[in-house]
Amino acid sequence: MTESTQPLVDAFKEKAALVAAQVSEAADLKEALHRVVQICEEKAPCELLAPEPGTKSGPLSENKLPTRAQRIIAAPGLSAEDFAVLEKACEAKGFLCIRGGLRNYLAGFDVGLAWADFAVAASGTCAVPTTDEEVRLATMICESSVLLLRKSAIKPDLASIAQRLREMQTTDNPEYTTFITGPSRTADIERVLAIGVHGPLELHVILLEG
Amino acid sequence: MHNAPKNLSSYHKALHESLENAFLRKALDKFAVDYRASRANIFKDVPERELIAQIAAAKDRSCKRMDELFQQFKKEAEKRGAKVHFAQTAAEANEIIARIAQENKVKKIIKSKSMTAEETLLNHRLEQDGLDVTETDLGEWIIQIRNEPPSHMVMPAIHLSRDEVAEDFSRATKEKHGNDIGKLVKVARRELRRKFIEADMGISGANFAIAETGTIAIVTNEGNGRLVSTLPKVHVALIGIDKLTPTLEEALTALLVLPRNATSQRLTSYVTWIGGATAVTGAEDGKKEVHFVFLDNGRSGLAKDPLFSQVLRCVRCGACANVCPVYRLVGGHKMGYIYIGAIGIILSYFFFGRDKARVLAQNCVGCGACSDICAGGIDLPRLICEIRARLNDEEGVSTEISLLSSVMKSRTLFHTLLKFAKFAQRPLTGGTPFIRHLPQMFSGEHGFKALPALAPASFRERWETIRPNVPNPQRRVALFAGCAQDFIYPEQLVAAVRLLAAHNVDVDFPLEQSCCGLPLEAMGQRAVAADLARQNAKAFDSVRYDAILTLCASCASHIRHAYPSILGTDSDAFRARSFSEKTTDFSSFVHDVLGLDAGHFVNKGQKVCYHASCHLCRGLGVRDAPRALIRASAEYVPAAEEELCCGFGGSYSVKFPEISAQLLDKKLEHYAAAGASRLVVDCPGCVMQLRGGATKKGMTLTVTHLAELLAENIK
Repeated sequence: MTESTQPLVDAFKEKAALVAAQVSEAADLKEALHRVVQICEEKAPCELLAPEPGTKSGPLSENKLPTRAQRIIAAPGLSAEDFAVLEKACEAKGFLCIRGGLRNYLAGFDVGLAWADFAVAASGTCAVPTTDEEVRLATMICESSVLLLRKSAIKPDLASIAQRLREMQTTDNPEYTTFITGPSRTADIERVLAIGVHGPLELHVILLEG
Repeated sequence: MHNAPKNLSSYHKALHESLENAFLRKALDKFAVDYRASRANIFKDVPERELIAQIAAAKDRSCKRMDELFQQFKKEAEKRGAKVHFAQTAAEANEIIARIAQENKVKKIIKSKSMTAEETLLNHRLEQDGLDVTETDLGEWIIQIRNEPPSHMVMPAIHLSRDEVAEDFSRATKEKHGNDIGKLVKVARRELRRKFIEADMGISGANFAIAETGTIAIVTNEGNGRLVSTLPKVHVALIGIDKLTPTLEEALTALLVLPRNATSQRLTSYVTWIGGATAVTGAEDGKKEVHFVFLDNGRSGLAKDPLFSQVLRCVRCGACANVCPVYRLVGGHKMGYIYIGAIGIILSYFFFGRDKARVLAQNCVGCGACSDICAGGIDLPRLICEIRARLNDEEGVSTEISLLSSVMKSRTLFHTLLKFAKFAQRPLTGGTPFIRHLPQMFSGEHGFKALPALAPASFRERWETIRPNVPNPQRRVALFAGCAQDFIYPEQLVAAVRLLAAHNVDVDFPLEQSCCGLPLEAMGQRAVAADLARQNAKAFDSVRYDAILTLCASCASHIRHAYPSILGTDSDAFRARSFSEKTTDFSSFVHDVLGLDAGHFVNKGQKVCYHASCHLCRGLGVRDAPRALIRASAEYVPAAEEELCCGFGGSYSVKFPEISAQLLDKKLEHYAAAGASRLVVDCPGCVMQLRGGATKKGMTLTVTHLAELLAENIK
């Protein structure tokens, strides 16, 4: 890591923590993928928010909802090679690892993994290319959203990402980008902050060298 | 389900209901205080004023070329498979959307929050076609279940308690729910996920429409905006044409202010950028239908209005309600129509017509708290005054107001009448400086404060006897008295003259001066206000003085800000401008120009609180000088919410006594808690309100003008 990235990494971590994102570092992708499996293992079972015929359910959640018996990690944005590594780690734990057909699991799944293209240190924001609907679903239907981010992709502020965003939006194809800053939240009842309304209940960002 | 007050008497009744709603009062009171602190904190890491100025300038530029930006947006968005529509009116927009639903055989619709859809009453139209429409923003869903309009643009259900929400959810789901907020949120998560899955069309608004990329941006926290635009095969975004911006940069700049102003966040959880129709895995043909429907509905007309075009700078952050002292008391259902807060009052006139705005436009105390924090730097109170003027022009005014106007046109008539009134009031005062026996019209609701009597001799009558003799003056100033000090509190001016003379300032008092015109302007009496501005500019030969001093913050702010624009290109405009530029408030002159400090006063250590008059702290941006002067001459005791309006607002306290009284109560509570023996103010209007209230309550607090404190302690 160069000296110039460290202040941005520190600023990103500080601002992300303020919005309840959990930031960690991994030496390499292998370690990061291992952490993803760990996150999945440690979380409470996924609630089934809608009927999903044929799915085996476990005990009721604290909200008295049926839960998914088999844990699911969705990672549509990974390369075939990286996905194979993750899939293998999942098999060992008995988790289902998927990279497509996420619409079959709209009642909810455990973990969604995606790559952030760049980040903004000033607000702890990750920019995730979500033109691929599967990636979009991975980041919004899951209970725990995990984003992979290269340290060198952390930029100081919104002004410094304008050109990159413009390039993403002016290709010949339709485009959909999401800026993600912490988990889904609301304060609509008595202005009391509640995490996890329609989107993920948790947001993890794993920082990678390079 | 949307209601605008029809007349003042029904409005007063409605206001009473809100004032008696204990939950609403407590919730909004806490919000007002919390918001101010969290907003200040979140703005620490960005240059607030600079950003607001940038947003204002960019919006002003965009609104001059909305047609061109629309064409560019359309071309770019259509390149990427989106369909772009233009609707002249609300009805047209609704028809376009209803047709899209029909063509796609839609049955179930999910919506994320859109104020523009509230504006067009889109749900009503879609429900007419038998469509099942579900709001998915938590707050919007709650009020949809209750069949109520939003009471805040960002927090639509802020008026409801967790108990009420629990009851509503129990009713809607036919299942008993407790009042745990976390659990209630999960009920919405479950109920609405099913709706998301079943829906065949999603409707959203948009915060930005970027012309260069043909992209819209949606700013959300819950994540429903993403689901609405992703899960159903059809996505329709309804967008006001004022949301068009030439490049990404303007949107990214506005994103530094919008979330900070709305919810004290650096950025919302999600900002979703949608550029065209991306492939959809759920549809058989894999094709997404994306429709961007742009709505004019009066916006292009507004863009051409030299004064009101600034309304289009609004980013719908809702902050003007968050800081409004009236909103804090009565809530959004009584302080707006569809759009809430100061901007709501203004938009109601342009989008929904005179009928909706007539009564609402009266309910602004003019404290300027909103324009002080507006993300687009919109001069909201001034625009509300202007709407009153337009309503008067369009509909005529009451007999009382026209009578008052004709009196005010003539200074001699106005001053002669005041002289008569002084004798006529004797039976009412019992020889005290207060009106002891109120005439019937002022009893009841108006009895919340002791009303002052007219002084036995006005300042103008006493002038020749108190005119100071300054042999070698270092400076020469002219006093602009303002009505309240000339006729009710001449002692405040006498004190100032004594202090000035003691520091080698020669003082003049041109007798041809009259009312500054602010009360007339506030009543929408533009012609008379302009007439008064002309008279005053003429009365003061401003080149003869180093400064024109006024001890009334309201007069000072009005003369400084409004005179040049009221007279515009009038032949007297030049004179008015020079008069206006020379006008200075008392504290700034004494502190900044004369440089008076602790060395110039005997400090007896009296415990003194300060009330920052709206027109001084926000109107003129004077904050430090008066406090420094208090510290120099006494022991300054800080109090809570010093900058909160005292509720006077000139004629406002007569028109809305129930609200004025509550605002006053809050201030007096804070000063009682601070424990000082004296409260000083830089404005006679606030003295009238605060002294009247303290007297009525039998408090031991002495309320005076700052000039009196200083004059008493001259070394």
